[in-house]
Amino acid sequence: MLRVENLYKKFSGAETASINGLSFQFPNDKIIGLLGPNGAGKTTTLSIVSGLITEYRGDIFLMGENIREAKTGLVQQIGIVPQQIAMYATLSCEENLLYFGSLYNIPKEELRKRIETYLQEFGLFEHRKKQIRHFSGGMKRRANIIASLLHQPKLLILDEPTAGVDVQSRNMILEFLKKYHQLGNSIIYTSHILEEAETLCHEVLIIDAGKKIVQGEPSKLISEHEAQNLEHLFLKLTGIALRD
Amino acid sequence: MKRIISTVIKEWQVTRRDWGGIALLFAMPVLLIIIMALVQDAPFRDYRNVVHHALLINQDKGKVASLLVDGLNKNKAFILHDSLQGKVIEVDNAKQLVKQGKYPFAILMPSGLSAEIVNSANAIANGMAKKIGMPSHLPERELRTGHNIQLIFDPTAKPTFKLAVQNALEKFLSRIQSDIILDRIARLNASNQDSSSFDFDKHLHAVTIEELSLQAQDSKLKEMNSVQHNVPAWAIFGIFFLTVIISESLIQERSTGSWTRIKLIPGSIRDILIGKMIFFIVLGVLQFLAMLLVGVFVMPLFGLPSLQLSDAPLQLLVVLVCIATSATCTGILIGFFFNTTKQALPFAALIIVILSAIGGIWVPLEVLPSLLKTVSVLSPMRWSLEGVNQVLLRQSGWIGIVKPCIILVFGSLVSLLIAQQLERRRVH
Repeated sequence: MLRVENLYKKFSGAETASINGLSFQFPNDKIIGLLGPNGAGKTTTLSIVSGLITEYRGDIFLMGENIREAKTGLVQQIGIVPQQIAMYATLSCEENLLYFGSLYNIPKEELRKRIETYLQEFGLFEHRKKQIRHFSGGMKRRANIIASLLHQPKLLILDEPTAGVDVQSRNMILEFLKKYHQLGNSIIYTSHILEEAETLCHEVLIIDAGKKIVQGEPSKLISEHEAQNLEHLFLKLTGIALRD
Repeated sequence: MKRIISTVIKEWQVTRRDWGGIALLFAMPVLLIIIMALVQDAPFRDYRNVVHHALLINQDKGKVASLLVDGLNKNKAFILHDSLQGKVIEVDNAKQLVKQGKYPFAILMPSGLSAEIVNSANAIANGMAKKIGMPSHLPERELRTGHNIQLIFDPTAKPTFKLAVQNALEKFLSRIQSDIILDRIARLNASNQDSSSFDFDKHLHAVTIEELSLQAQDSKLKEMNSVQHNVPAWAIFGIFFLTVIISESLIQERSTGSWTRIKLIPGSIRDILIGKMIFFIVLGVLQFLAMLLVGVFVMPLFGLPSLQLSDAPLQLLVVLVCIATSATCTGILIGFFFNTTKQALPFAALIIVILSAIGGIWVPLEVLPSLLKTVSVLSPMRWSLEGVNQVLLRQSGWIGIVKPCIILVFGSLVSLLIAQQLERRRVH
C-alpha cells in the first residue's frame, strides 16, 4: 500500500532535519499506528505522504506509484483527517460537509446521500444545522472525520483523531475505524494514547528524531523487547526525557 | 468550475454570519462618506458661495465708502456689521472681536478715503483732457498718503481666505474708481451731446472672464463639489477595507486547519482563490454601488448636493471590478504575509489609511507635496480614484480608463505572485 524510501526533510531555517533517512513499508488492508514522541516527525511524514509538502528527498510509493508523478486519481484514494478541527466554525456541520465534499467534485445528490449516511453513523444528524463552533469537542472530532471520508478513500490517514474527546466519542471513533477497515480500506493513524493503538492497530511503526525505531505487530514487539505493554515499550525505545 | 462556485457560496455563508465584517464593509463607509462630505463641503465650495459676517468701521462716511459698502452688501459673500447692539463699532473693539475669533475679519475705511479717491479721479481726468487738448478744470490737489482701506484678519485665517477677501475688495474698489473716472471724463466733456449718451460702463466691461465647461452639454454636473469628490473617494476607501476581511479570513482558515484540508483535496488551489476573489470582488462592487446610492439619495438629506452619476455604467463597472480586484489581491497578500490576525489586522487598517492619504482620498492629489505626489503612484487608491474620476467627472470614455485599469490589474497580479511565493516558503 505505502512504501517510503530514505525520506529526508529539513525545513528552511531549522537546525536539524525533521525526517532523516526514514524508510518503511505498510502492507495493504491494515490498521497501522504511526507512533512517536512530540517532534518525532509523524505529522511531517503524513504531510509529505498526503502531498501537502512537496519539497523533500527520497521516494514515496502509494499503491506502487511514486507520488511525485501521481495523478489526481491516486491522490483521490487518500483521505486525511488533520489534527486540527479543520472546518469553518461559523458554518453549520452540513454546510461544511457540502463545501468540502463539493471540492472533491462529488455529484450533488450522491454527496447529500453520503453526508446523511455519515451524519447518522457518527450521531450528528440531529445537529447537522448547528454551527461547528457550538459543537462539543467530541462532536467536532467526529465531524472532522466525516469531512475526510466523503470521497470514500481507500487509505485513511488520521492524525490524533481521538485527542481531547470524551470516552463515548473515542469509542465511537475507534469502532468506526474498525468497521471502515473491514470494508477493505487501509488506515494509518497517529496517537499518543498507546493503549488505544495497542488494541486497534495490526501493526505499529515507532519513529523518533525522524528515524525509524521499530516496526511490527504490537504483541510481537512487546514480547521481543520484554515490555509490559506498548506504552512501556515506547518509553524503553524513546526514553523518558521530556520532549518539546 | 464546481469548486469555484462552491467556494463563492461558502464565502457568502461565512460572510453573512459575520455582522462585524458586514458593518465594517457597509456602515463604516456610509458614515465616512456623510461625515467627510459635510466636513469638506465648505473648502470645496467657492468663497463666493459662503456667507461671511464681517465688521465694518466706516470713518469716512463719504460717497465712495457708501458705494463700497453697498457693493459689498449686494455681494452674497459678505454681511457687514457696522454696529453691534446699537453701538457703532470702534477700531479697538473690532480688533478685539476679530482676535477672539468672533468675526473672521474687519474692514476699516479711514476718514478722507472718498475725498482721496475723488481727487485721484479728478487728477486722472484732467491729465487725460490735457493730453487730447481739452480744457481741464476739475479741482485737484497733491496726493496724500494714509488713506488705504485696512483689513484686520483673525490670526487663524488661511492665506487663501485672506487673498479671496482682498481680491473681492480690490475688485469693488477698482470698479468704483473706474466709475468715478468715467464720471469725471463725462463732466469735462459735458457740452458734447453724443458723448453724454455713450454707455461707458457697457464698453468697459465688454470683455469679461467666463469658464468654458468641459462637461458634455447634457451633463448634469456643472462643477466639482464635496459630494462628487467624497462619495467616490470614500467608497474606494471602503472597498479597500475588504483587505481586512480577506486577510482575516485567510489567516483564520490557516489557523483552524481549513486551508490545510482544502490543500489536501486533489485539485488546484487556484480554483479556491478564484472563488474567493470572485466573491469579494462582487461584494466590493456591490458595496461601491450602495455608496453611490447613498450619494444620490442620502446626501441631499444633509443639505448637500446629490451625487451626479455617470452616463457610462459599463465603464464604471469595469473600473469597479479592477478596484475590487486590487483590494482583494492586497488582502490576499497581507493574509499570506502575516501569521496571526493580531499582526495582520492593524497592519491592514494602517496601510489602507496610508495608501488612501497618498492616493488622494483625503485631499485631492493636487494639494499634496511633490514627494507624496511621486510616491502616490504606488497607491492602488490613486489609480482607483483616477479611474472613477475618468468615468464620473471627465467622462473620457474607454480610452480614459485603460491606464488606471491596467495598473490596478498589474498590481493585483504582482500581489498574487508574491503571495504564492510566501505560501511556498511557509510550507517548506
